[in-house]
Amino acid sequence: MAQVKTAEFKKISKQAIKNEKLQHSLDHVMEHFVSARSSIIDQDIGAENWELLRTRAASIKQSTIENLDYYLDLVDKNVRRNGGYVHFANDANEANQIVLDIAKRNEVKTVIKSKSMVSEEMGINEVLEKAGIEPVETDLGEYIIQLAGETPFHIIAPAMHKTKEEVSDLFQDWLKTAPTQDIKRLCIYARDALREKFATAEMGISGANFVVAETGTVCLVTNEGNGRMTTSAPRVHVVLAGMEKIVPAIEDLALFLRLLPRSATGQRITSYNTFASGPRNQSDEDGPEEFHLVIVDNGRMNLLKDEEMREALRCIRCGACLNHCPVYKKIGGHAYGWVYSGPIGAIVTPPMTNMKVASDLPYASTLCGTCRDVCPVKIDIPKLLLHLRHKVAEGSSSERGSAWMERLFIGQWHKTVRNRKSLERRVKLARIFLKPISRNGKIKKLRAPMVSGWTNSRDFPALAPKSFGDIWKSGLSGNNGNRNQ
Amino acid sequence: MPYIPPEHPNKSAFLKKVREALGRTHPILHAPDHPPLKSNIARQREKVRTIVARNDARMLTNINRLMENASFASWNVHRVESYEDAAATIARVARSHKVKNVIRSSEEIFKKIDVDKSLRSVGAPPTILASSRTRRRGQLKSIAFKSEMGVTGVGYAIAETASCAVIPRKGVARLTSLAPSVLILLVETEQILENLDDFFAITRLKRMESRSHGPNYYNFISGPSRTADIEQTLTVGVHGPGEVHMVIVG
Repeated sequence: MAQVKTAEFKKISKQAIKNEKLQHSLDHVMEHFVSARSSIIDQDIGAENWELLRTRAASIKQSTIENLDYYLDLVDKNVRRNGGYVHFANDANEANQIVLDIAKRNEVKTVIKSKSMVSEEMGINEVLEKAGIEPVETDLGEYIIQLAGETPFHIIAPAMHKTKEEVSDLFQDWLKTAPTQDIKRLCIYARDALREKFATAEMGISGANFVVAETGTVCLVTNEGNGRMTTSAPRVHVVLAGMEKIVPAIEDLALFLRLLPRSATGQRITSYNTFASGPRNQSDEDGPEEFHLVIVDNGRMNLLKDEEMREALRCIRCGACLNHCPVYKKIGGHAYGWVYSGPIGAIVTPPMTNMKVASDLPYASTLCGTCRDVCPVKIDIPKLLLHLRHKVAEGSSSERGSAWMERLFIGQWHKTVRNRKSLERRVKLARIFLKPISRNGKIKKLRAPMVSGWTNSRDFPALAPKSFGDIWKSGLSGNNGNRNQ
Repeated sequence: MPYIPPEHPNKSAFLKKVREALGRTHPILHAPDHPPLKSNIARQREKVRTIVARNDARMLTNINRLMENASFASWNVHRVESYEDAAATIARVARSHKVKNVIRSSEEIFKKIDVDKSLRSVGAPPTILASSRTRRRGQLKSIAFKSEMGVTGVGYAIAETASCAVIPRKGVARLTSLAPSVLILLVETEQILENLDDFFAITRLKRMESRSHGPNYYNFISGPSRTADIEQTLTVGVHGPGEVHMVIVG
């Protein structure tokens, strides 16, 4: 499984914020996505109807998840009826093994991949390479970051942090092409290099945007055509799908195909939608002879188990919450430390991987609520973030990620404020201790350990010389009689 | 009878885990309530009758909407009245690109539109990308990758999204509409549907009537192959055709 590096959240965030070039491209790209989305919704759907679509989509996805065992069974029956194999993998290792077995049985030397976030979770490229099989990413963005040896920066724009100069350098190193600043030229270089792979690869691996239960159809939403190549040219087609990708009926796609591209790139529809339900029919001219659907759990069960978190499985991975998030817009995708970034990453990464390692993520939000407002399936992300914060602070020992110092402090605080007398005593004590560091009624930046983080970016008011209780006792109580006048 | 692969050994344990996570001990016996899944053939026929009537009544609006949305999505739209004009349009596109290697599919529509003749006249006689007595399936890929232009018909065209549903089958290879860098799709006016819902409803009825599970593979093509993966700059023709033409006949 791909390594979880969220422990370095603060370090990588700081680096990203200081990187001017990155800040510039984040500003530019995010603004582009945000305005494209809102203008296409205004243009042909309208705010009111958009709200109806979101409500319907949320309810379809939620009910599918509540009945997931039924629909998974239906998917299995229908894909097999179409002549395809269905595999169930509990975790990344099992899924990798399944893919590896299929590849070995078919004597595969080269695998072409169209975009799949699940394959990023699995870290399949590394596994294939170790087995002597060459994996080639064919989505242009994914191809660039594969050459750079990096992980996706954004769910739908994986290489948005790379400049054309950097891409040109990468192509020069790997493809021996001439340096160029012309983006069209760079695309042609990639096209030519990948055409060779399309012509020879024995196996194609794709993700799935939707899996339709009643027909066993995998729906891919793409723009470049690599998804079609991956599902047309090789002899074997393997689909990797998270178990939450299911929608019940084919008609539901009309709804989801209206929501997904508009939310993601601000397009009315993407250039290609591929519907694959099994291997090619006997009489077909081309297409794969073998079709495999691998349904992957890999930590999703933890979301399913928790009734509060379950709605996170409605996600259709459009990336709108990333594009609108004030935190993502500053720190970018790598700080989140795993496959999914932005608000959705902050809620799915801790339960899917390790609450303790990813304990910074639920705090990587201002709780402004824009992610919830733009989500096409109405996931209440701020609510889920609070739920996770609660777990980080007070969950079972396996979930708790808060520092013991913090817990000790809060525990003591809790004891103190429950008892009037002890509170008064401690306030008096605190006044003596805080006096030397208060200036003009404020406590400003402190350079002491533990407290420096708290005072770094805000001033605290100093304790008043007299508490309300004291004033009441001495002054206000003397005026008691006045109240009756 | 086609081959039905066996059940995966993990399946029942996996489903049991899902059930437990949902707090249930037994499988659901009745299908969850979801309207499209409950349709029967009589109801579906009725539904499709309404859809067809509506599409007939709004044919002109649909054509205009298709053309408008297609232009917006970077299609080159050609509206022609006769099959001869369609053939001439295809030849014109071929000549403007000076292409030599053209591939096409073999469908009903090519009996009406004589593209072979018109393309021969501009020095680009098309090859039918299909297996035959003299051509094995394995050779199709290399022919497709060498070609510069592809011509094929469509199953349906959807006005709402300017999408053409291309359904591969015998005589219609997947690569015809994918490998060349220039693509021409032939749409007849009666193939135009108003929206995505119409498409899915009609294909459901077809599946029901033929008692089959329908084609295992099809695509919506809704514009040129495009990417914005480098610096958010829109570029066409990455892996698929960078130039797409929609010829609307009738």
